Amino acid sequence: MSTAALTHDSHNGHAGAPPATAKFGMIMFLISEGMLFAGLLGGYFVLRWSESGFPWQPGYAWPRGEGLPQLPVLLTTINTVFLLASSVTFHMSEVAVNKGKSGLSWLAATIFLGSLFVGIQCYEWWHLHHEGLWFNTGGTYGSSFFLITGFHGLHVAIGVLLIVWCFLRQALTRCFTPVHHTALANVALYWHFVDGVWLVVLTLLYYV
Amino acid sequence: MSATTLDAPAPQTHDHHAHHEEPGFFKKYLWTYDHKMIALQYLWTALAFLLLGGALALGVRWQLGFPGAEFPLIGRLLPETVAVDGSIIPGGYNMLVTMHATVMVFFVVMPLLIGVFGNYLIPLQIGAGDMAFPLLNELSYWLYVLSGVFLLAAFFMPGGAPGTGWTAYAPLSSVGAYNGTPLGQSLWGIAIFINGLSSIAGATNYITTVVNMRAPGMSMFRMPLPVWSLFITAILLLLAVPVLSAAAAMLFADLNFGTSFFSPAGGGQPLLWQHLFWFFGHPEVYIMILPAMGLTSEILATHSRKPIFGYKAMVYAMVAIGFLGFIVWGHHMFVSGMNLTLSAAFSISTMVIAVPSAIKTFNWMGTVWRGSIEFTTAMCFALAFVSMFVIGGLSGIFMASTPVDLFVHHTYFIVAHFHYVLFGGSIFAIYGALYFWFPKMFGKMLNETLGKWHFFATLVFFNLTFFPMHNLGLGGMMRRIADPTVYEHLRQLQPLNVLCTIGAIGLGFSTFLFLWNVVVSLRSGKQAPNNPWESNTLEWTIPSPPGHGNFATTPTVYHGPYEYSVPGMDKDYLPQNEPAPSTARLESH
Ligand code: HEM
Ligand SMILES: [Cu+2]
Repeated sequence: MSTAALTHDSHNGHAGAPPATAKFGMIMFLISEGMLFAGLLGGYFVLRWSESGFPWQPGYAWPRGEGLPQLPVLLTTINTVFLLASSVTFHMSEVAVNKGKSGLSWLAATIFLGSLFVGIQCYEWWHLHHEGLWFNTGGTYGSSFFLITGFHGLHVAIGVLLIVWCFLRQALTRCFTPVHHTALANVALYWHFVDGVWLVVLTLLYYV
Repeated sequence: MSATTLDAPAPQTHDHHAHHEEPGFFKKYLWTYDHKMIALQYLWTALAFLLLGGALALGVRWQLGFPGAEFPLIGRLLPETVAVDGSIIPGGYNMLVTMHATVMVFFVVMPLLIGVFGNYLIPLQIGAGDMAFPLLNELSYWLYVLSGVFLLAAFFMPGGAPGTGWTAYAPLSSVGAYNGTPLGQSLWGIAIFINGLSSIAGATNYITTVVNMRAPGMSMFRMPLPVWSLFITAILLLLAVPVLSAAAAMLFADLNFGTSFFSPAGGGQPLLWQHLFWFFGHPEVYIMILPAMGLTSEILATHSRKPIFGYKAMVYAMVAIGFLGFIVWGHHMFVSGMNLTLSAAFSISTMVIAVPSAIKTFNWMGTVWRGSIEFTTAMCFALAFVSMFVIGGLSGIFMASTPVDLFVHHTYFIVAHFHYVLFGGSIFAIYGALYFWFPKMFGKMLNETLGKWHFFATLVFFNLTFFPMHNLGLGGMMRRIADPTVYEHLRQLQPLNVLCTIGAIGLGFSTFLFLWNVVVSLRSGKQAPNNPWESNTLEWTIPSPPGHGNFATTPTVYHGPYEYSVPGMDKDYLPQNEPAPSTARLESH
């Protein structure tokens, strides 16, 4: 990373930070986001740890209470494929921009897949609520499931909005060029991060 | 990162400001991207919170010294959840304790150290024109203000402010029926969450700035110690604060969505709160002391006219403290029901922290040893910082030992400990640093005579207030009790409680000496030269106060920051942007 003398000229709000600096800042921010999820998942892990038969013993899998619905594992697995695909399409849009193209169709595909993920998650919430599982039912089962997927879903939703913002900027002004697409690259970092977190959430909440 | 180069860039003149108009009031004071103005925004806001937090503390002390007596002057203005007919009620006492601590930790000490000095000093001392992300910086300030609004709103909720202590232990905090203040406690959770966002925004900015925006020649090991300390603090913030945010979110959900993270009835665990809180909480106490250490180091070296003793050891000690800080949190939970082996492990790791702390202390002593000490007010506060920190650090080692802690936990001994490190430590360092950098910030010198009055009053009244608390604690007085006189075994200790209260009132008044000094000096203080203390770091090479954009041309750095009394030189200091004469024998490379 360069420490070139970036003093007063570039930083009085006239122009954004140079790409390498902005990317570094985004990574720092994502580390703190990682700690947020580590706190939530760590808490969940501690609660599960004290349950007998955790992890991996089939007879003991959550939920332990009577009459509580099972999480729709298959649907969520399919939904995960959509989310991972959206990471690929986002990457393709960056590749396209690097080649001097607009990348708009790939971005549109990413927005579609991201929204699809959020939509299916919403459906899942609605469905579970309908079946009697909510924040305040099912003890720590409901508590953990809704708080953690809620936090994650919020992150995905914010991500979708950020991608829409990128899409509109690119569509209206063609501001992302092979040499300069800092905002796009940083939103991509965020998006891949949120996807990565999802894999951990999926494993811990749905699979074990 | 390593591309620091000694080639001076072509001098760039500062002409593009010619076509800038002077910004209006709003753009200049309220929504500014200038890190120096943001630092001042933090300063005024945090000082206001300091007065509020101090008033809350006086309420606490009044009640302990004179239980049930009417709280003079403001007793009748308090909401009836706190005081009835002017005298503080037990529930209200808990609210005062809780709000005092929360305000002091999150709204006074952190903003003063990190918001004020982090913002002011980092860009100036590394030779940058501003922070890496100026907009994020301003956002961080306003998030801080917003979190303050949420916290204070708690006083006006039905039921009143939270009364569960700054540690908000569950299930007292997480079950509305237990604490009686579900709304106030929820607002506390929201305030902590938003305050955390502000901290994270700041930390991201500081780390990025330090890593990416150093002037040519400013290698990591040429950075002044305040920058190092704030850099390490920012890393701690980045890793610790989000965990508290997660815990606050769970608390909020328990209170409002009926989740059961912390309630055994639904399979949750009250201890989970303690683990999450202290995983944040112990790094937090280092977040509140590391910047104080960095600021003090700068003052001690300058006013002893000597290089800092063991510069690299100082840096490595801070890194060690930062790292160890993450593996000692269990020492707050010795009595919470902990496996004995684990307890021994936490005990040992805690004692190990004393090693880097002692390295720093001895290095400070080595720095002033045989120096030509200038007893400015800043220097007095810096010396007092070292002494008070040693007292607090020593009582810390007592409590690190599990058998001792079983005895003193939750007594006034703990209260004495953390006030020695937080007031005697952090706040003394903040005062010292304000006397030291005020001339740079405002272009006026603070009055030294008033300063000495302020210093001695603070030192005397601080010790009068907090030293007897060691005795109270060992005598068996518990924390967070509204009336010690109802306990048979505490009645004989009541005179000590009165003494503490008298000290606290004196301490309250001594704060006004400082504020008075600020007002007087701003209006008619001596004009400050560029470099009043003949110090070496880059901020002293430019006008006081520095203009927009800081450096007219990007400075080039030729050596470390602590070249005082260099053999082979005429003057006894050597600013970082001046090449050393060939006769000079430098400390640093
Ligand atoms: C040599 C270094 C230190 C050691 C060994 C140490 C040790 C301890 C221990 C064992 C406790 C828990 C006591 C109990 O609750 O039973 C404690 C409490 C505390 N310490 Fe320290 N400490 C040290 C430095 C500091 C510093 C530098 C600060 C802050 C700037 C600090 C702030 C606190 C606070 C606020 C508490 C009380 C928390 C509460 O229960 O409300 N300590 N310390
Ligand atoms: Cu601790």
